[in-house]
Amino acid sequence: MKRIKLLLSVLILSGFMLQGCEKGFDELNTNRVDPVSLDPQFVMNKGIMDATYRDNFATLQTLCYDFAIVQQVITPFGSSLSGGNYNNFNPGNTTQIWTTYYQSVIKQLAYVIDKTKADATKKDLYNQARIWKAYAFMILTDTYGDVPYTEAGKGFLEGISKPKYDKQELIYKDILKELDEASAALDATKTSSSSDILYGGVLSRWKKLGNSLLLRAAMRLSKVDPATASTYVKKAVAGGLMQSNADNSKLRHTSLYQNWIAVHLTAREKANFYLAKPFVDFLKSNNDPRLGSIAYRHVGAKSGADQVAPRTTTDPAVQLGMPMGYDDVSIKNTFTTFGVASLYDYSQVNLNTVLKTDAPSFHVTYAQTQLLLAEAIFRGWTTGDADLTYQAGIKAHMEQMAEYDTKAAIAADKISTYVTANKLVAGKELEQINNQYWVASFINGSETVANFRRSGFPALTKNPYPGSEIKGNFINRMPYPDSETITNQENLNAAIAAQGANDLNTRFWWNKP
Amino acid sequence: MKKKLLFLSFFTLVCQLFVLAQTVTITGKVTGQNKDPLAGVNVQIADGNIGAITDGNGNYLIKALPNATLNFSYVGYLDKSVKLAGTNVLDVTLSVDPKSLQEVVVTALGIKKEAKRLGYATATVTGDAMATNRTANPMSTLQGKLAGVNISTMGTGPGGSTKIRIRGQSSFNSVNQPLIVINGVPMDNTTYALGGGIGARAGQVNSSDGGDGFSSINPDDIESITVLKGATASALYGSRAKDGVVMVTTKKGSSKGGIGVEFNTNYTTDQALDFTDFQYEYGQGERGVRPTTAYPQSGVWSFGEKFQPGMRQVLFDGEDWPYEPVRNRYKQFYSLGTNLTNTVTLSNGNENGSFRLSIANSDNQGILPNNTFNKKTINLGFNQTINKALTIQGNVNYSNEYNKNPPQVNTQDMAIPTVIYTLANSMPFAAMEQNQLMPNGTEFVMSRFLVRNNPYFSLNQRFENIKRDRVVGNLSFRYQINKWLYAQGRIAQDYYSRYQDYNIPNGYAPIPAAPTGFINGSYTQDVRNFRERNYDFLIGATKKIKDFGVDMTVGGNQMYRKTEYNSVTVQDFVQPGLFTIMNGRAKDPLYAKAERGVNSLYGAADFSYKSFLFLNVTARNDWFSTLAADARSILYPSVTGSFIFSEKITLPSWINYGKLRAAYAEVGDDNVAPYSNALYFGVNNNLFPNPSGASVPVGGINTTLVPNPGLRPLRVAESEVGLELKMFKSRVGLDISYFYKITNDQILAAQTSDASGFTNKLINIGESMNKGLEVQLTLSPVRAKNFKWDVNLNTSYNTSKVLKLGTAASDTVISVGGGGGRTIKQVVGLPIGALYTFLYKRDAAGNQVFDKASGKPLRNDVPAYVGNILPKYFGGITNTFTIHGVEVSTLIDFRLGAKMIAGSNMNALRHGLHKRTLVGRAEGFVIGKGVNQDGGVNATKSDIQPFYETPNVLGVNEDFVFNAGFWKLRQVSVGYDFTKHISKAKFIKGIKANLVANNVLILKKWTENMDPENVANISDNETGLDFWTPLPPTRSVGFNLNIKF
Repeated sequence: MKRIKLLLSVLILSGFMLQGCEKGFDELNTNRVDPVSLDPQFVMNKGIMDATYRDNFATLQTLCYDFAIVQQVITPFGSSLSGGNYNNFNPGNTTQIWTTYYQSVIKQLAYVIDKTKADATKKDLYNQARIWKAYAFMILTDTYGDVPYTEAGKGFLEGISKPKYDKQELIYKDILKELDEASAALDATKTSSSSDILYGGVLSRWKKLGNSLLLRAAMRLSKVDPATASTYVKKAVAGGLMQSNADNSKLRHTSLYQNWIAVHLTAREKANFYLAKPFVDFLKSNNDPRLGSIAYRHVGAKSGADQVAPRTTTDPAVQLGMPMGYDDVSIKNTFTTFGVASLYDYSQVNLNTVLKTDAPSFHVTYAQTQLLLAEAIFRGWTTGDADLTYQAGIKAHMEQMAEYDTKAAIAADKISTYVTANKLVAGKELEQINNQYWVASFINGSETVANFRRSGFPALTKNPYPGSEIKGNFINRMPYPDSETITNQENLNAAIAAQGANDLNTRFWWNKP
Repeated sequence: MKKKLLFLSFFTLVCQLFVLAQTVTITGKVTGQNKDPLAGVNVQIADGNIGAITDGNGNYLIKALPNATLNFSYVGYLDKSVKLAGTNVLDVTLSVDPKSLQEVVVTALGIKKEAKRLGYATATVTGDAMATNRTANPMSTLQGKLAGVNISTMGTGPGGSTKIRIRGQSSFNSVNQPLIVINGVPMDNTTYALGGGIGARAGQVNSSDGGDGFSSINPDDIESITVLKGATASALYGSRAKDGVVMVTTKKGSSKGGIGVEFNTNYTTDQALDFTDFQYEYGQGERGVRPTTAYPQSGVWSFGEKFQPGMRQVLFDGEDWPYEPVRNRYKQFYSLGTNLTNTVTLSNGNENGSFRLSIANSDNQGILPNNTFNKKTINLGFNQTINKALTIQGNVNYSNEYNKNPPQVNTQDMAIPTVIYTLANSMPFAAMEQNQLMPNGTEFVMSRFLVRNNPYFSLNQRFENIKRDRVVGNLSFRYQINKWLYAQGRIAQDYYSRYQDYNIPNGYAPIPAAPTGFINGSYTQDVRNFRERNYDFLIGATKKIKDFGVDMTVGGNQMYRKTEYNSVTVQDFVQPGLFTIMNGRAKDPLYAKAERGVNSLYGAADFSYKSFLFLNVTARNDWFSTLAADARSILYPSVTGSFIFSEKITLPSWINYGKLRAAYAEVGDDNVAPYSNALYFGVNNNLFPNPSGASVPVGGINTTLVPNPGLRPLRVAESEVGLELKMFKSRVGLDISYFYKITNDQILAAQTSDASGFTNKLINIGESMNKGLEVQLTLSPVRAKNFKWDVNLNTSYNTSKVLKLGTAASDTVISVGGGGGRTIKQVVGLPIGALYTFLYKRDAAGNQVFDKASGKPLRNDVPAYVGNILPKYFGGITNTFTIHGVEVSTLIDFRLGAKMIAGSNMNALRHGLHKRTLVGRAEGFVIGKGVNQDGGVNATKSDIQPFYETPNVLGVNEDFVFNAGFWKLRQVSVGYDFTKHISKAKFIKGIKANLVANNVLILKKWTENMDPENVANISDNETGLDFWTPLPPTRSVGFNLNIKF
């Protein structure tokens, strides 16, 4: 009897113990370390920050393709660094913009837009996010052509894991509309949150960024749809463009948030990248004072280890660009011709000035905007003095050098000498303006490439490296990542069917021959 | 019968009185403990050649001297010797050899059952088999010993982890490791994985194998390991046992009384095995030119010139070295590893209780000179009867592990194995050893591939320490309420604290210089705390009414698990050479915490009819904290039955025992990390300046995984049938199982398009099937007095099929991992783990297509299916020969029917080491055999180096898709038990010695330049992918000595 009582009490006790078989489980499964929401302003900051890349390898697309296509910076080395230097397909490096932009920038912006679009108190942030989204998608579509746009970044919000690809034409027309609307909606007399890392919430600057970006987007269509281009150029000018370098959109890198291109060149790819001859020659032949800010050379260096301070010179007269078309072995054949000790003796991007590890990354500048405006005036899409605007653009970029480092600053007299000597010449306006755009967009790889494709200037010659894998003279686009063949094959196939072969040759919509 | 015997003994007694012959006739009956007669028992007169065998009723008859000693031996039972002492009738009861464990099996929840009652397959290995011929991680010793169990090691040093698969792999993309249970209580076997797992911080250069949970066990403490293979066997363990259970029973003190002291020492040496067969005709250099200046450094390229006598090269150090092959790189670089384990055991006991205490120290020196692994364990087991009804039993295992400098594997940065594998074939080791640091203390770069560091720099400048203190223990109270009823309560906890730190050395070339005033480098310090608590209770009742017996058990379990992670990484330092958090410039802290709970109620009923028919029914309900409220409860049943037909049906006399069994069970599993139900954000550690310089926060969605709040538990339904036979006087034993398993509603992190903003999405998806056949065969072909030969053969066939994926019929493919053109997918209609890679482009006629301009090979647009990663067949054959007491044992194991991409060959190819790169060297160019895009015959000359770099650049791995199978001579041991030569009175009561060898020979393999098992991809799903070489496999040779006092 006693034992049965005991048994009963054990049973009852166990019953109690297990009565709440899921008691406390909701609480147990709540993460108390990471928040489930965040002020969208801080998320916006992340979207802005990550647009200048976020880790080591993400910059390889810029370094190995963009810089090489526009013949500004080149590496003779191959294998994982091959790309534009050999006119090769290297799927490891063609995908970086895709993965970093969609996974960091677009995802964060989709959240910011979702959280702000219906909230009247967050109207300014909403419009800022629309502007920034347009900026990011221009880079994506200018790199790959047709890309997921309307359904992109919505893996969580709408559960879309296989977004469809949109035609570049549709994307651009929406970008134009968005930039127009968002810029117009911002009140230039007000400020939003000072937690904004781009402009500290100064809406007049955001508005000018929106309109300057609108001008950039409109000018992209100069060949394929001049009518639309002209319409939106007018809207952009009417809306108010950037007025000075103070309006520039840039990320102010710090010692904690470093400039990844600079980090890559000072670290893993130390001694592997050189200024290309066409770029150095252009600056040299025009006595461009920017050469002394951009370039340095370690005269007589026989090795990477020889690239040390005592050899360093920024003297423009001795700068020597690496000729296009060589690899690390065949480059030997150029040493006698150019009088260099080794490949390490060619000029490089100055890692103490424009690419020191905390050098700012520029997104949209006053200089670029003036140059685009000069072209728009020349084309008759807006009014003004094309020559003066062109000169203002050059001057602005020369003045912008000081923002990298005082060592890069260019004296006012040198600027005026250069500007005076480089006025627009009848019949060569487009070439002159876009050559200057090429210089003014240096280090902003995707923008330099896009404008080169659009304008055809500078008039570069084909990279003569033997065994080029491309059909024409230049790489026309980046192929879609291999990962899309695995995760989004149907939509990918549809995009390829619509746009053309998924290779380096296919021209996308706005890039008319 | 009794009367007969009485009469017989009376008769013999009478005879003895009258016949004074030298020999007498002895008769008797041999029975087991349960009084069943034993047929076929060997009866032998000691020191004589006369022998007899018992008949079908266990009776024997033998002539012997009146004072002779009779030896009784029988398979599966302990030998017994009885001195006649004047009697003519000698009935003997033999007891079951606990080592054979054929009869009693430890089943789920630690409940012991007679094997004949079981309706499912189990497999058991004794502690001896693990302790004698051991490996640093005891789990890898089991390779090849258990039917249906596949164990692989990683080549990551002595502190490395193992991967276990029971009955293949059933789930698409989650953990497939079995549950580890020690004395009835679960133990955490988390693997601290290579780069990207919980062992590594994002963005940090660290890719070492941080080990698993099982390494905390000392094999000397293991009494036996029982593997419960199917869902049916493990139904009572519920969710965590869906991939089977590895049940470890530790040794206990004997109740016989008297202090027992035992000492065991084990010493082995490990030697690196080299399976590379590289070209040594053309030396270091690029594009056909040998290095004649220090720069550009080549270091890891062998695309140089043909070796000619007397040639010289200028290497990265600027010095002039002979240009000649440097062969046997493994032998030159890797040292001899050593492993020494000493265990002292103390035990005592009486009828009221016993205890066993063991203290062990294990020192392992890896084949890398700076890699050591030390493990100290203390194990205490006790049981005590408090009064007639109450018994307390407990076991505590404390371990202290220190893994020093585990190598970097599966990566490039400071990964010594990768560098040694890809090193230029004329690179003298002396050049690297002499030039590790520049005069200013920074790294002396030897390759323009900066991340292929000088291996001596990595050895001497990089450090990593992993230390773990762990206590796993349980305490159980059992109250025998009356003869047929008991109640049991148990508390158990697995707790460890794990410390890890590692650096990136000052002056490491691939990282940027520090800002002025600082020196570059980085340092990370991690502390993890893990706690798992289990409370459970069991109430059991046994009733027997006539021929019917019932055993009822009900119980419940409450599991709670918490992991905490504190970590700080710092970058750049004030004081050179001082790696501390305080000395760092930029500090990046991280804290994470995860909690989960599972509550369960379960019950089992065991019915028996006589001693030949058994039925077992179980039910378990689990509640998971990780799942949504409406989906977190799941009930799963199991039914098993067995029929000992040999007791019911008249069988041919050569069959001693026959059993049929059948089982069906369902198991569910949450199989998902805590907090997978919501999207979480992260705030960046450091603020960012706004334009006016004020610091403002930055943060965002900090995951690339789309959460899912509506996840349901995964479900497994498994059926199993089996047949057990003992034949030819138990000299042949056969155990066959067939299983069929359907896994439903898997929780899968399916890859999504990057354009979705995420890389993966958690979904409940799909259905897959696994089926297989397992055969275990034991043979005793020879059982002569001084020669015994035993064979144990196990083999299994496993196959699987993906039946359904996604919600729409068009969802037929999901990608689960890979990179570099090597992908593992789940594809409807194919077995689990389909391997895909790009193929070379071919025209309709099958000719390879080359680029007209460059002459380089082209690839297809879409990756192709090239095979499956999971082996179809695996098993082992153990032969044991006992010759005059000397026991010689060999184990041959095999794994067949799987494919792999041996990607380390890709590295050998692109670096000019692979023999395939010899084609075209003499000419200085390659003209690929095939056509060009226009259809014409390819005539374009391609430079050698770019031609052989192309497959890697394009991700075309078709040249290196190999059969991943092998046949290996896994273990050899020779042992002798000296105990019989020691008189009982001596201080020493027993000595046993064994010579052992592990990983002795590869008898057959298909991969080039590597051992197919030597793959350091620890991700639970990514087998069959190889790229960066891990440490080479090793052959170990040594001895084991066991002394009892």
